[in-house]
Amino acid sequence: MKYDKFFLLAKEKGISEAEISICSGSSLSFSLFHGEIDNFESSNSSSYLLRGIYNGKMGSVVSDIYSNSLVEQFVNTIIESAKTIENNDEVFIYKGDKKYKRINVYNKQLESISIEKKINDLHLLEDKIKKTDSRISEVESVSYGEDSSSFVLMNSHGLKLHTKSNSFYFYGGAVAKKDKQVKTGGDVFFDNDYSKFNIDDFAKNIVNEAVSQLDGEPCESGQYKAVLDREVVSSLTKAYISSAIAESVQKKSSLFIGKLGEKIASKHVNISDNPLKSSLFARSFDDEGVATKNTEIIKNGILKTYLYNLTTAKKDGVNSTGHGTVNGSKVGTTTWFLEMKPGKKSLDELFNIIGDGVYITSVQGLHAGLNAMSGNFSLQANGFLIKNGKKVRSLDIITISGNLIDVFKDITYVGNDSKIFSRGIKVPSVVIKKIVVSGK
Amino acid sequence: MLSKSLAIQVLNKLLETGADYSEIFLEYSESHSLTIDNGKVDASNNAITSGVGLRILKNNQTVYGFTSDITKKGLMSLAESLNKSFNDKQSLTVTNLEKIKCKNRNVIKRSYNDVPLQEKIDLLKEGIRAIETNKDPRIVRHIAMFGNNSRHVEVFNSKGKHFSRDTEFARMIFQVVAANEKGMEIGFEGPGCQSDISYFHTVVNPVDTAKKAVRTALLMLDAKECPSGKMPVVIGNGWGGVLFHEACGHPLEASAVSRNLSYASGKEGELIASPIVTAIDDSTIPNEWGSIDIDDEGNLGEKRVLIKDGKLVNFMIDDFNGRRMKRNGNGSCRRQNYKYCPTSRMSNTYIANGKSTPEEIIKSTKLGLYTVGFNGGSVDPTTGEFNFGCSEAYIIRDGKIAEPVKGATLIGKGEEILKKIDMIANDLAFGQGMCGAASGSIRTNVGQPTLRISEILVGGRGGELK
Repeated sequence: MKYDKFFLLAKEKGISEAEISICSGSSLSFSLFHGEIDNFESSNSSSYLLRGIYNGKMGSVVSDIYSNSLVEQFVNTIIESAKTIENNDEVFIYKGDKKYKRINVYNKQLESISIEKKINDLHLLEDKIKKTDSRISEVESVSYGEDSSSFVLMNSHGLKLHTKSNSFYFYGGAVAKKDKQVKTGGDVFFDNDYSKFNIDDFAKNIVNEAVSQLDGEPCESGQYKAVLDREVVSSLTKAYISSAIAESVQKKSSLFIGKLGEKIASKHVNISDNPLKSSLFARSFDDEGVATKNTEIIKNGILKTYLYNLTTAKKDGVNSTGHGTVNGSKVGTTTWFLEMKPGKKSLDELFNIIGDGVYITSVQGLHAGLNAMSGNFSLQANGFLIKNGKKVRSLDIITISGNLIDVFKDITYVGNDSKIFSRGIKVPSVVIKKIVVSGK
Repeated sequence: MLSKSLAIQVLNKLLETGADYSEIFLEYSESHSLTIDNGKVDASNNAITSGVGLRILKNNQTVYGFTSDITKKGLMSLAESLNKSFNDKQSLTVTNLEKIKCKNRNVIKRSYNDVPLQEKIDLLKEGIRAIETNKDPRIVRHIAMFGNNSRHVEVFNSKGKHFSRDTEFARMIFQVVAANEKGMEIGFEGPGCQSDISYFHTVVNPVDTAKKAVRTALLMLDAKECPSGKMPVVIGNGWGGVLFHEACGHPLEASAVSRNLSYASGKEGELIASPIVTAIDDSTIPNEWGSIDIDDEGNLGEKRVLIKDGKLVNFMIDDFNGRRMKRNGNGSCRRQNYKYCPTSRMSNTYIANGKSTPEEIIKSTKLGLYTVGFNGGSVDPTTGEFNFGCSEAYIIRDGKIAEPVKGATLIGKGEEILKKIDMIANDLAFGQGMCGAASGSIRTNVGQPTLRISEILVGGRGGELK
């Protein structure tokens, strides 16, 4: 076996348990500018993550390359890094679960669609964006990409797990101009079923996003009732749920400390992580090899669980929830496919519910303007002013500010327009009681 | 790492179908990062990045591919799959490669590969002791990190250029979390350099860095919410340069300018900023975080004056995007690693010193905001709309720095804001950051002296500024 030398040498040098995870993938992408392919990329690469327990501590090394001649260097590096670890958290190389659900996230059909067809569709997309509306001055870029990857985990307990996935995406970006105003709009479609891609709808969406922002001006600064578009909800939910990570709670740096079983959000908020539901993000095991399961995190506003890997679960005397993610000697925690339960109201009905207020369609600069640990955010935003339940005009150069805890407490209605976003989350738009807007 | 004769073979294989330029980018990097969480070493991670990126150009088209298989077979088969994108006759043949010599301005006296792990742990623990001694009970968690990277790059291209570049860089980070009944706040400090480890004992040091992070976290814990609305804002030196980085730096990269996708496209020679503004992108400053001696296309690092007395005079240009602009590259072609196709990027980008002093600027501001700590930001180069978040800010009342405020975000349109800079001080300083764009995450310095914007929109939850 290719990796025998690693396991043998690791054992010989005193590493009690060892593991290799191999992530291999290939990708292809191309983009058009003014009707010509201006960029074409293809790749093939692998990444090897080797871990081992030495005197009760975990050491690791990550490498793009693997060969028998490198094994000794790898083993020595693992020992060196394990020797420096001082914390006494128990670490694990997992023996495995009895059962893992079979999940298929690889669509063989994608391979059979020719590159010519994909290039042709990209030309059509560029054309449609350009011709749908005379205010579109430039198609910023249209691109197509696809990748397939496999993940193999094997360890010295004989556990061997394997998963394989593929997906494709289309991106389009448009520039709309009117007098001196310039606005941009863009969208991404991704899936692994090519037949689901509808060029007309996608192009319309991009054009609408750019054009609808023209003729905007700021609104008066103040507090408004608001509809948060699902895109904004997806960003805020991801940040909000990071507080459920057990390590943050154990280290006293989470908004959810001591809140287990308590009401932390409005009764309309139901959030779960569903790796076993059929989606592009489905996973039957986590990076530690623990079988995943669908987990209710918040039910009717009540916090039901924290999210665990093997180490943090041991500390709290519970089982891992299958959320371990490994990228070095320390195991982190992640979510796979977050879902917020949708409600019954359409977006237009949500506008009617607020009557007068704002509809926030996107936020920018999350890495700078949102602090997931404190929950505070102040973000550049785009959106529309709502009067008598109708969009009246777009809002130019505004910010929205608030705290994540307040936002999720203030949700009064949940829409029925759930959408999947590429960061592994499916959420609808929501109504919130209030948001602070800075404008004029 | 790669013989000259094999390099020539691969370059010619890439050119076989009519490309007018071909390039091999070979990389081997070793990196290490160390994390100490609440005083105990928590993680020690080693990583090897090794592979090759091949690029061919024809007129305005780019073809790029990468692989971690750097055998002759791996290289030739990638070259063959890439050249299928074109189907013309070969018009160019590489027969010889000249080694380019360039100045090494970023000399490292002692490689990080020779620094024992314990020395890095000891360095961080000096800072941790400073946090732990008489620790404020409101500090609930602190994380210290040290990361270093040694990178060897070798480039061959069909212009007959061959060069190698060795870089080493490191960063020391202290993050402090403070909490009380009102909430939680974070203090963050993360100085970095392209120098050896002595930098972290001399130019900066762990004790002051850690104490600064503590100070910010505690100060913000008790701070009021920042008021909102349009107001004069004095932006502190160093990291305040993130304003220029977002509002103007990105829109001056050839990747946007050449496609007419920047508000600065076609405005060379025009007044795009207040006449007191001179802005520079300089990759030649010795041992600075964003410096490079030679870029990924073999063009030497330069000091590029971008804006002179308010007038737009230059851009960050790579050879490829330069084709549409009919300009040669000026040493700005960069990428994170071999997995990214390179493009025009910033290096050490800053606004030059002005004539005022920081004190004069504060003194002449009746009511406004003074921001001194920043989280970073983002921009849409086409519209010029940018944002950046502040981690530490104060209200200015009657020309004096008054109460601290938290949660401020500044937003605006680049071309409008640059014209509203009405005072610039003489205290230029840099801040080290990672900039993410099409060719990945790269080291860039932001910089500026203290300056004032006569009016900009501030987002916050504190109501009207009174």
